[in-house]
Amino acid sequence: MSDIKNNSFVRWLSRNPIWGFVVIVFVFFSFAADHFFALQNVENILVQASTIGLIALGLTLVMINGNIDLSVGAILALAATVTVDMQGWETLAFLGDWVLLVAVLAGLLCGTLLGGLNGLIVWKTGVDSFIVTLGAMLGIRGLVFVYTREQSFYASSFAYSDFGSSSIGPLPTLAVLFIACAIVIHVLLSRTVHGRNTYAVGGNREAAVNAGIRVGPHMVVNFMIGGFFAALAGLALSTQMGASTPNMGREYELWTITAIVLGGTKLTGGSGSIVGTLGGVLAISILRNGMNLMQVPSFYVLVVLGVILIAVLALDKHLNRRTAQEPAL
Amino acid sequence: MDKAATDGWSVRQILAQQGILIAFVLAMLVFGLFSDRFLAFDNIMAVLRQTGIVGVMAIGVTIVVIGGNLDLSVGSMLSMATVLVVDLHDRIGPGPAILIMFCAVLAAGAINGVLVGYLRLNSLIVTLGMLSALQGITLIYTDGKNVDIANQSDTWFAIFGRGDIAGIPTPIVMFFGVAVLGHVLLTRMPFGRKVYATGGNPRTAVYSGIRRGRIVFLTYLISAFTVGCSALILGSRVMGSQNNVGQGYELLVLSAVILGGTSLLGGSGNILKTVIGVLILGFIQNGLLLLGFPYYAQWLVTWVVIILTVWLDVASKRHSLWSPIA
Amino acid sequence: MSRMNKLALAAATAITVVGAAGAAHAEKIKIGITQNNVGVDSYQTTYEKAFIAAAAKNPDVETVVLDAGGDVARQIGQMQDLIQQKVDVIIIWPTDGKAVVPVVRKAHQAGIPVVVTNSNIAADGMDFIAAFSGPNNIQQGASAAELMCEALGNKGEIVQISGQPGYTTAIERQKGFEDQLAKSCPDVKILETQPGDWNREKAQRVMEAFLVKYNKIDGVYSGDDNMGVGALNAAKAANRAKDIKFVGATNFAVGYEAMERGEYYGSIYQSPVDDAEAALATAIAVKAGKQVPKLNYFETPKITKANMDKFTKPVF
Repeated sequence: MSDIKNNSFVRWLSRNPIWGFVVIVFVFFSFAADHFFALQNVENILVQASTIGLIALGLTLVMINGNIDLSVGAILALAATVTVDMQGWETLAFLGDWVLLVAVLAGLLCGTLLGGLNGLIVWKTGVDSFIVTLGAMLGIRGLVFVYTREQSFYASSFAYSDFGSSSIGPLPTLAVLFIACAIVIHVLLSRTVHGRNTYAVGGNREAAVNAGIRVGPHMVVNFMIGGFFAALAGLALSTQMGASTPNMGREYELWTITAIVLGGTKLTGGSGSIVGTLGGVLAISILRNGMNLMQVPSFYVLVVLGVILIAVLALDKHLNRRTAQEPAL
Repeated sequence: MDKAATDGWSVRQILAQQGILIAFVLAMLVFGLFSDRFLAFDNIMAVLRQTGIVGVMAIGVTIVVIGGNLDLSVGSMLSMATVLVVDLHDRIGPGPAILIMFCAVLAAGAINGVLVGYLRLNSLIVTLGMLSALQGITLIYTDGKNVDIANQSDTWFAIFGRGDIAGIPTPIVMFFGVAVLGHVLLTRMPFGRKVYATGGNPRTAVYSGIRRGRIVFLTYLISAFTVGCSALILGSRVMGSQNNVGQGYELLVLSAVILGGTSLLGGSGNILKTVIGVLILGFIQNGLLLLGFPYYAQWLVTWVVIILTVWLDVASKRHSLWSPIA
Repeated sequence: MSRMNKLALAAATAITVVGAAGAAHAEKIKIGITQNNVGVDSYQTTYEKAFIAAAAKNPDVETVVLDAGGDVARQIGQMQDLIQQKVDVIIIWPTDGKAVVPVVRKAHQAGIPVVVTNSNIAADGMDFIAAFSGPNNIQQGASAAELMCEALGNKGEIVQISGQPGYTTAIERQKGFEDQLAKSCPDVKILETQPGDWNREKAQRVMEAFLVKYNKIDGVYSGDDNMGVGALNAAKAANRAKDIKFVGATNFAVGYEAMERGEYYGSIYQSPVDDAEAALATAIAVKAGKQVPKLNYFETPKITKANMDKFTKPVF
């Protein structure tokens, strides 16, 4: 009995080697860094992971589709800017506290629409999503600067930033939000028709078309989900700051994609999972947090992150090749 | 009727195939119309001088992309190379400094090449990792300090960024020189054919006896070499360097390559069109600045220009404006 | 290098004597600092070194030195990590004057005094900090304006190259400069302002465009000397440097040298060593419960060729 259990665990781990890595770094920092192994710090890690994590949830769907979205960092900034700015609008003052709800919805809508715009362009023009969203990454950042005129905005009341530091039971609200969203997307991906189609479209587009899936609209929906979660991440981040800055979210697309790929999603599409993505996100967050606590000088952090990134990729490739050779395992 | 239709199509096709050239001419005309300074000789020369840095690297990256891979590490590599050559200039003289700088970038390129070519790791992630690692190494090397060349007026190192060769500014000579070399390499040499084959269909390429790993490895060496050339221009132009001087260049370079119609899937692309891509980006930036727009206006314009240009390019290849995706 | 050794040592001790750490350092003050973006320019790097050196000289002080890499979110994370470690004082060099206010408030609520260094936080955050220590950037901008008036004989047309958009130091210097210029010499007109992002090459490119666009430029004000020297490079290449007066801020070694050669009119002398030592001293005073003024400005005098022999050449 225990053999079989063991076996299935080994098999699970070989499919998600990133979790093995997460456990290793967690144990390492627990011994190497004071203050690492504490409930409060685990909460910190979860909150710090929530920004990239939320973006990664939506982006995983887009990437399983075989597409990519490089504009998520810029979308994050635009959504946060809109939400923070709208709270101060005189014209909405009559709404009282409800202005917060309107502002949040507007921010999320912005993100969803911009994601949809990217998806629509990819669908209708047939231009590679990497190119479409590389353009959008520049363009949407430009919109943010036009909107803000290079200024930071901040929420007039601390109620907004208090949300960012509030807790539900023992866990920070943002961590709960992140975990809840992860569960929802996990179910969407593994238990629904849309989820099955996501894999089908990414795995073999011809076959998906033959199976009657309308590939274009399907991809647009996933881009919209991607945009929605980028916006949500922007709101989560801006509640931590009680503010938005025009430069926020820069380079996040690169770290998010890295986390997702470390989690086992292929850039060519067709495979990947939320469990893996979570592992990738946690791996990067734990590394950053642990190196902070160990006071690794920032110059070395860059080198360590770069080297570990490549090493994990190599390890993953090695493991996957072995499992491919031994399908009986 | 039939003939008219085909004629109509061929006009459209020419329009689409040379879309990038038309975009370029259009951009020049619009800016020329609104700013009397834009088409002035000294402005054009200034822009060409500036674009040399991006341009030379774009040639190398085009070759990598045609081989079916990406290179995002060029930004950090440029920082590393510029810092090295500037810092070593005063310590051991310009000649040895340049030599050591080229050794360093080629070593970095070789690491990229081994990981992507021989170990077959994903190029996006590998070069992203290198982007981070090389930036860190640069900072460790300088200990976070700026580096400067003390005596700027009498060093022959000035020729790369500030000098002329036969009356033409050196960055322009280097840009077009490297472009011509790259073009010849890709279109007239067996190596070029192999790069296209490797990027176009790796499996067939392997069956026809092409050693994929070696070809990819070499494309990364070429890309690293062009980064070294750009570092010469940048270092000599500024006569000093910050540690993050190359930050963001990877995206500029990639945008130029994409504007030139090189497919990210590999196997197709054209150096001469990359050159035009570089020029468009350079002149857009300069033109908007001359018209008094804030600098971020260029990002919005680039967004539209990239999508329209690539769309036209893609549409002409499949003979239909709209994609066949259902 | 010594920091790496210290680090390795610290890691080794932590592994061998886990748990025994608590009581050992009860007497020491533990000061955590999160900096803006070390390595982006020499000023910040020199500041960090000076801070570590000053702290090492004081046997009662233990430091945790972090760097946000210019990213607000990472700085907030580092603030949370410092609060988690229960350091005695936190020094923050804000990546953004507004966005760090909530997390500074959080530290305040956790009972940890916060000292802001170099670049102040927004007015809303002033209630939550123990003190600010750094240069007066508005005053610096104003001093630079006075230098410019003096250089041009109160008449002329100039361009401005500002620092990183959205960054408090850049905004304050620009504001101080523009306000004072209008007051002291209203006949000096600013033709145009563009950001140079604290980057010499970017500033050089911006200046090249200005030179094409404007036939007559009498002066250039740059948000720091690093950018100013970039502008000087561009003007020299166009053979127009002799007709233009250059005024900068935060005197860099390259600016100092250009001033020696007579190519650069003037700047503001700001020492990162003074900046770092002032921040550390303020933090120690705050922890000791001493009364400190809320705003601690250190001296940042004007420097021109006439008085430059009184200043040592900047090391950065």
